[in-house]
Amino acid sequence: MTRVLVVDDEPQIRRALRTSLEAHGYEVATVGTGEEGVVGAAEQAPDLVLLDLGLPDIDGTEVIRRVRAFSEVPVIVLSVREAQSDKVAALDAGADDYVTKPFGMEELLARARAAMRRKQPDASTEPLLRFDGLEVDLPKRLVTLDGDQVKLTPTEYGLLEALVTNPGKLLTHQWLLRKVWGQGYGTETTYLRTYVRTLRKKLGDDAQAPALIVTEPGVGYRWVAETTA
Amino acid sequence: MDRGVSEVEPRRFRGLSARGAFIAVVAPAAAGVASIPLARNGPAAAIALFLLAIVIAAVAGGLWAGLLAAVLSSIALPFLYGAPRFRLRFDGTEEILTGLVFLTVALVVGILVGGAAEERARAGRREREARLLGHLSSRFVSGDVPDRVLDDFVRVLLEPFGLVSAEVLVEVDGTQMNARAEQPGLTPGGPDTVVPLVVGPVSFGTLRVERPAGRRPLGPHEQLLLEAASKQAAAALDRARLDARARLAQLDAETNQLRAAMFSSVTHDFRTPLASIKAGVTSLLDRSVEHEPDQERELLTTILEETDRLNRLVGNILDLARIRAGALIPTRHEAGLDEIAEVVVARLAPRLDDVAVVLDIDEIVPSVAVDEMQLDQVMTNLLENAARHSPVGGEVHLSIAAAKDRVEVRVCDSGPGVPDEERERIFEAFYRGESIPDSPGTGLGLAIANAIVTAHGGRIWVEETPGGGATFAFEIPVHVLQPPEREASA
Repeated sequence: MTRVLVVDDEPQIRRALRTSLEAHGYEVATVGTGEEGVVGAAEQAPDLVLLDLGLPDIDGTEVIRRVRAFSEVPVIVLSVREAQSDKVAALDAGADDYVTKPFGMEELLARARAAMRRKQPDASTEPLLRFDGLEVDLPKRLVTLDGDQVKLTPTEYGLLEALVTNPGKLLTHQWLLRKVWGQGYGTETTYLRTYVRTLRKKLGDDAQAPALIVTEPGVGYRWVAETTA
Repeated sequence: MDRGVSEVEPRRFRGLSARGAFIAVVAPAAAGVASIPLARNGPAAAIALFLLAIVIAAVAGGLWAGLLAAVLSSIALPFLYGAPRFRLRFDGTEEILTGLVFLTVALVVGILVGGAAEERARAGRREREARLLGHLSSRFVSGDVPDRVLDDFVRVLLEPFGLVSAEVLVEVDGTQMNARAEQPGLTPGGPDTVVPLVVGPVSFGTLRVERPAGRRPLGPHEQLLLEAASKQAAAALDRARLDARARLAQLDAETNQLRAAMFSSVTHDFRTPLASIKAGVTSLLDRSVEHEPDQERELLTTILEETDRLNRLVGNILDLARIRAGALIPTRHEAGLDEIAEVVVARLAPRLDDVAVVLDIDEIVPSVAVDEMQLDQVMTNLLENAARHSPVGGEVHLSIAAAKDRVEVRVCDSGPGVPDEERERIFEAFYRGESIPDSPGTGLGLAIANAIVTAHGGRIWVEETPGGGATFAFEIPVHVLQPPEREASA
C-alpha cells in the first residue's frame, strides 16, 4: 500500500487530505510541524511527502534539504499563490513539484501519481518510451509521431530527452538550460521558450490544452504524458 | 569681484578715479599735440580740439576729470598759442574767458553725464531687483515642496547680494527645515544680516546672510530688498503648508469613500458565493432527500465554481490591500508574457463558455522581468472583464506583440465599448461603468491591473476596438535583470 506523509499545520487541511487520500486507497500519516515531518520521512519511509511551505517551526525549504540528505522520496509542496519565490526555492532545494492552495484533489492526485511514477525502477532507463502516438527511442535518439519520424535539431532533442526522462517533475528554467545548453547558460529564458514552442509544434501539443508539456510561467516545464504500453 | 545690487548704488558724482585723472591729462595733451600742425592758422582749431578733449574727459571720467581737463586746457592753450609762445601767463582777459568757457563746458557735460550714469544705474538696479523677485515668485508658485523652495531661495540670493553664504532655518507645521548655500572662493567672516520670514502674523523662521570678510554690510536699500524676497519665500511656504493640508483632507475623504465602497462591495461579493456554497452543501448533507446523480453533480459543480470565485475575490482584495499599503512590490523573474497568456487562457477558457478566446502571439516574444503571478492576475482580470462585456457567442482576442523595447498585450472584445469620458476613471478602484450600471464585476479587476502594470514600469490604457468594442492594452518594458534573482537565491 502506498504511504503518504502529510506535513501541514492546518488541522482542516490535514483532515481533508487524509479523507480524500484514504478514499483513493492511500495509507496516510499526518504531522503538523517541520521537525515531525523530517522525523516522519526517516522513520516511516513514505512513498510520497506532501509538504506545506508555511510551517510554524522550520521553513519548508529547510525541511526538503534535510529530507534530501537521506531520502529521494518524491516531495510535493503545497503553497499559497503569493509565495512564488518560495516555490522556486523549494524546487531548487529538491522538491519535485508544487500545487497552489486552494487546489482540487484531482489535480493533487495527478501530480502525486506522476511524482511517484518517476520513482519506479527503470522508469527513466526504459530505452523506448511510448506516449500514445509519440515514441521516443532513447538509444537511437529517434522520435516518431504516429509512425512518422519527427525531425528534431540536437537542441530540441536534448530538451525532449530532459523532459521525458523526468516525467511529472517540474523542471526549472535554470535546470533545463544547464542540462541542455550546458553550464554557463541559466538565464536565457527567451531561447528556452522559443525552443519549447517549436518542440510543441513538432510534437503536435497545444499550449492551451497541453497533453505533453505543461508550462509553469516564470518557473519551468513539466512532462505530463504517461507512458503507454 | 563685487558687483551686483550693492555696487549699483553710486554717489551722484564719483570722485576723481585714477582712470579719470589719466584721461583728464591725456585728452588735453593729445588735443595740444594734434593742434600743432594747424597752429599757423591761429588758435581756433586748437580751441575746438581742447573743447573736444574736455567733453571726452567729462564723459569718460566724470565731472572731476572734466574739470581737471578744463584747467589743464586753460593753461595749455595760452602756453601754446599766446605771444610769446611757450610761456605761462595769465594776464589777458582772453585767456580768463577761454578758461571760464572751458570750465563751464566741463561742468555742464560732467553734470549731464553724472545724472545719466545715475539713471542708468538705478534702472539696472530696478531691473535686477525685478528679476530676482520675479524669479522667486515664479519658482514659488510652481507647487514645489518646501525643501526645494528653500534650497532654491538661498541659492538665488548669493550672487545679487554678493554673499558668502545664505542660510534659512524654518519650522512649518512642527517640521523643522533648513537650507544653506555658499558662494565658493569668498572668505567668510564679514558682516551678517538676519531677516525674518514672515507672512501676515505668521513667522516661519529666519534668513541669515553673510558678506565676505572685509566688505561693508548691506545698505538699507539692500535690506529692504532682502526682506521683500524673504516675504515671498514665507508666502510660498505658507502656500505649500495649506496645499499639504488640503491634500491630506482630500486623501482622507477618498479613503473614507473607498472604505465605504469596499465594505459594501466586499460584503456583497463574499456573501453571494458563500450563500451558494452553503445552500449546495446543506442540500447534499440533507438525508431526507434523495438527489439524482445529475442534481448532485450540478450542486457540486456550483460549489466548486463558487469556491473558485471566492478565491479570486480574496486574491483581488489582498492585491488591493497591498496597493493601498504601498506593498505591491513585484518579485521579478525572467518570464515570457506569451506563456503566461497561454496558461491564463487554458485555465479560463473552460469557464468562459459564452465567448471564444483567440490567442495571437508573435513568433518570438522577448523575456521580461515580471512577477509572473501578478501578470497572470492582470491578464485574468482583463480577460474576465472582456468576457463579461462580450455578447454571447462573441470572440475575445488576446494578442501579444514584441516591439523594440517592450512587449504589448492587447485584449479586444466586441462589447459595448467604453465611452471617452470613462476611459480614465475606469481604472479606479470600485469604479463601475456608469453606462453599465448592473456590471457584475467587483470593480477591482481593472484597478488591480493598473496598479500591477504601473509597478512594473509599464502602462495600461483602453481604446476602441476597430469595428466596435473595447480594447484594453498594456505594455511592459524589456530589460534584462542583472544579475538574475534566481541565480542569486540558488
